[in-house]
Amino acid sequence: MLVAGLALVVLWWLASLVAPTLPDPAATFAELGSMIADGRAWSLLWRTTVFMAVCFAVAVMLGVSAGLLLGARGSLDRALSPYLAALQGMPTSMWIPVAAIVLGTEIWSLAAVVSLGAVPAIMLATRTAVKGVPPLLVRAGRTLGESGFSLIRRVVLPAAAPGILTGVELGWSIAFRCLVAGEIFSGALSGTGIGDVISRSRETGDLTEMMATILIVLAFTVLADRLAFARAHARLRESRGLVDAGLPH
Amino acid sequence: MGGAVALTEAGQEFVRRGRTRLALQPTTLDIAPGEFVAVVGPSGCGKSTLLDLVAGHATPATGTVTVDGTPVTGPGPDRMLVFQEHALFPWLSVQENVEFGLRAAGVPEASRRSVASEWIGRVGLADAARLHPHELSGGMRQRAALARAFALKPRVLLMDEPFSALDAPSRDRLHVELQELWRETGTTLIFVTHNVREAVTLGDRVIVMSSGPGRVIADVPIQLARPRVVESRQVVDLAQHVRGLLDAADQMGITTPREGRDGYVSI
Repeated sequence: MLVAGLALVVLWWLASLVAPTLPDPAATFAELGSMIADGRAWSLLWRTTVFMAVCFAVAVMLGVSAGLLLGARGSLDRALSPYLAALQGMPTSMWIPVAAIVLGTEIWSLAAVVSLGAVPAIMLATRTAVKGVPPLLVRAGRTLGESGFSLIRRVVLPAAAPGILTGVELGWSIAFRCLVAGEIFSGALSGTGIGDVISRSRETGDLTEMMATILIVLAFTVLADRLAFARAHARLRESRGLVDAGLPH
Repeated sequence: MGGAVALTEAGQEFVRRGRTRLALQPTTLDIAPGEFVAVVGPSGCGKSTLLDLVAGHATPATGTVTVDGTPVTGPGPDRMLVFQEHALFPWLSVQENVEFGLRAAGVPEASRRSVASEWIGRVGLADAARLHPHELSGGMRQRAALARAFALKPRVLLMDEPFSALDAPSRDRLHVELQELWRETGTTLIFVTHNVREAVTLGDRVIVMSSGPGRVIADVPIQLARPRVVESRQVVDLAQHVRGLLDAADQMGITTPREGRDGYVSI
């Protein structure tokens, strides 16, 4: 992983030799250092984390519950699926101007787009995962005395968890794209500070701060993947025996 | 203690592509508390339908099904169903799987744990309590499923070909262990199988069913001493008799070729 990272930095350095407007790694890391020193980096990271965490938590709750409903009610699923598929296919950032005018250029309008943008992907993945739950497990759950919401919580959700997680991961990347698209549209929208950097770079034409910010965002997504998604995947797969641990059978 | 199961003219039909198919002819059957009843028959004879009716996973099209005089209206922990495939929850350990039903029944955590551990011990899985289903052999999985069912102290235990996917040695051992567990708990047991010898080995009574439409064709009492094993001479002789009943009822008029006195058939 470290070697691969170094190789990428070398590639970047080569690219900066070819394209003089692209800041080289040294300048960018210097800028990153000063951003860390004066606290701008932390503030950016912190505000992005809070904004994304809140929006994404809402998206996961909405998406999973709507997906469960679609999975359980076939008629609803048949009626809505084409539109949901269309929504999922459409770049969600197209809603940003709409939201900005309807809800005003405030943090709420971007929060709404980021949250709702991730919902269709999570919802459709949840629906598919719920439909794929082996009927035998549901029957076993019923036989053992579970029914209604408690059956969903203790049998359907855990059985569908790997599929739901895939949707959540997809939703996460969609939400993040929405966030950045919103920042490009109007810098003050989310309050994460990424937009301010974008507008400053736009004015001065100096990309050093921009590149440093990209590194911070990259670090953020790597952390989110390593700390949340990769761990969740590993746990789900391990407990279900989907990892070959070399056990004798 | 076991519950009394009564089917009164209970029949079941399925509609497929607009055509009604009779899965189980109206059937009357009385099963005494604590009785071990084996149900044997070919595929499509309605034996699994019969279990589903008692389990409450299906409602009869005609007639009634009662347990201790109360009509069956849905699944309940007084009637445990053990499936052909173990149906353990793959994301839970053996311990958690056995505790699952106890938790649904609202048993407090401490006694949940001790009851589950006791049953896991009784089926010989004490060392495997923390393992997940994928880490167990087929026989161990079915043992865990047994522990999960017995832990709820069901009045009626329903088993749908539970050992048919197991290797012969595991199956033979589980036959003996199941007879012991049944004797100790006194539960009523309805055991569905397509294996004639297995039915004769386990049942106090063998209900013989035939297909097209599904119906009961004979009710054979088995009065051999327990525990029985599939190889025993008396079991083989009685299996031969039951096998003859099944052959006689076969509308196709085909008798399954058999070697010598072997009544061990899988249809």
